[in-house]
Amino acid sequence: MRIAECGMRNKKSEIQNPKSKIVHPNLSVDFAGIKLKNPVLTASGTFGYGEEYADFVDLNRLGGVIVKGISLKPIAGNPPPRIWETPSGMLNAIGLENPGVEVFLREKLPFLRQYDTAVIVNIFGCSVDDYLAVAERLDGAEGVSGIEVNISCPNVKAGGMAFGTDVKATFELLSTVRKATRLPLIAKLSPNVTDVTDFAKAARDAGCDGLSLINTLLGMAIDVRTGKPRLANCTGGLSGPAIRPVAVRMAWQVARAVSLPIIGMGGIVTAEDALEFILAGASAVAVGTANFMNPRAALDVLDGIEAFLAEYRPGVTGIEDIRGKVNIT
Amino acid sequence: MNRLHKAKILAHAPIGKSYYRLVLRAREAAAAALPGQFVMLRVTENRDPLLARPLGISSIVSKTSIEIVYRVAGRGTMLLSQIEPGHSLDMLGPLGQGFPLPDKGVIPVLVAGGSGFPPLHFLSTRIGSHAHLFIGARNRECLPPAGILKSFRENVAKVHIATEDGSLGKKGMSTDLLRDYLDRAEKKDRTTVFACGPRPMLEVVSRLAAEHAVSCYVSVEERMACGVGACMGCSVPVKEGGYKRVCKEGPVFDAREIAWGLKVIVPVKNVRHQS
Repeated sequence: MRIAECGMRNKKSEIQNPKSKIVHPNLSVDFAGIKLKNPVLTASGTFGYGEEYADFVDLNRLGGVIVKGISLKPIAGNPPPRIWETPSGMLNAIGLENPGVEVFLREKLPFLRQYDTAVIVNIFGCSVDDYLAVAERLDGAEGVSGIEVNISCPNVKAGGMAFGTDVKATFELLSTVRKATRLPLIAKLSPNVTDVTDFAKAARDAGCDGLSLINTLLGMAIDVRTGKPRLANCTGGLSGPAIRPVAVRMAWQVARAVSLPIIGMGGIVTAEDALEFILAGASAVAVGTANFMNPRAALDVLDGIEAFLAEYRPGVTGIEDIRGKVNIT
Repeated sequence: MNRLHKAKILAHAPIGKSYYRLVLRAREAAAAALPGQFVMLRVTENRDPLLARPLGISSIVSKTSIEIVYRVAGRGTMLLSQIEPGHSLDMLGPLGQGFPLPDKGVIPVLVAGGSGFPPLHFLSTRIGSHAHLFIGARNRECLPPAGILKSFRENVAKVHIATEDGSLGKKGMSTDLLRDYLDRAEKKDRTTVFACGPRPMLEVVSRLAAEHAVSCYVSVEERMACGVGACMGCSVPVKEGGYKRVCKEGPVFDAREIAWGLKVIVPVKNVRHQS
């Protein structure tokens, strides 16, 4: 049933722009049962808990905020240096620093509830029981629209990617979390696998409602003068425009393989970047590392998508009209 | 307060042999900035380099403009140095926690290492003229440019200089000068140290301050991505356990908070807020 309910329902918008007389596209999306006013979200780990950016942008304009990963207990994170800039990208090994689910519910969520934007909570753990406990704690919390399960963080030994690079472990973890919550469940997939569609299918079979892809690509940089890795953790996750073609390819492959709706992410800076993911088959997009360059990045993407649909695709009334329409004939 | 701006470059030129002086029109920052705070500047409209650069504010030039003095230390600051007056830069700020301004009875002792002097210059414009300043650099070329040194001399009671090669001032480090000063200082209970420079220097300054039971604030450097507390990339270990964000809880910390002993890989070119 959940799968059948997925996807987007756009209606032709009646709103007229008096200046241009262009029909404004209806950008609202029903993503896996989550009502998004528009398809532009901020990716987990790149927008804190919203409050960090509230001084710079109007959070009400965002389709949604996927908050930084939350675990059962607080996690201190990795020693510095945690980041290193690379060509059109960056490596990070933050180590999933977070205050834990109780502090999140008590101190972070109430702030986000003030805004008219969907809140999707990214969760992770070191064991299946950890994931389960966080999911149970979030189920029924006011103001939580959905859960994104991080099975793909490359920077923590015990959790994250250990699940996301093993099809059987992915299925078992997601099946267990599925039983713990009625909230829409989104699996965030790792690109650090041979065939990402195997994992998409496992997530579907486990009862997930949607997919996020991609998480960061495992990378490394070395200071040749000292011979030491640039990151204290040695390896880290590569993000930013450098990874976008990989992400678009994976979104396309997964969209063809499963019918679950996809939040496409990986290096989106502009509306054109975001539209690549939508043409590849994504129903929504998340802006990540670009938030660090420009706090307005997600809003710029949103404005650009609207302008693109209005100006360059006459007759197109919403995202659904172009979703998956990459022309490969 | 909206802290996202297009800041027009009013002046931008080399100053001394090692530094650039950048004056930005930034009305809100000029009104609100506190010594020790910084701004994030994008150095290109392209995607490489990707991240904005954190740069300390060195003074408020007028009601509508701020001054930044920086050293070209990598590709980001190299690109920044080529942008001409008249252009505008994407700017976030002012950001972070500045130095706590000392009360009237306090003797401020400022310690600057390498290119870490700009925030202390801003501080020197906001404190009484009874302050002492200790500046250390590799050689005379790396000392603050003449204009800044002159301004320092106007703002504080005495400027003490050390260079590692002895090309100007005393041969040695700023921390050597500080040690001599603190050894002889009276009124230690009314002395407060404010320091900015490379991490090894800050560690020594913090230890000296602790040995003399003098309160001490340090402006810490770490690589940053967002500058606003979201990415957790700039966190440093603290004694109470865990980490604090240089961009949000810092860059100025009470020196006693920092867990100096914990192993940190210090980059070879360890230059404040630049890459």
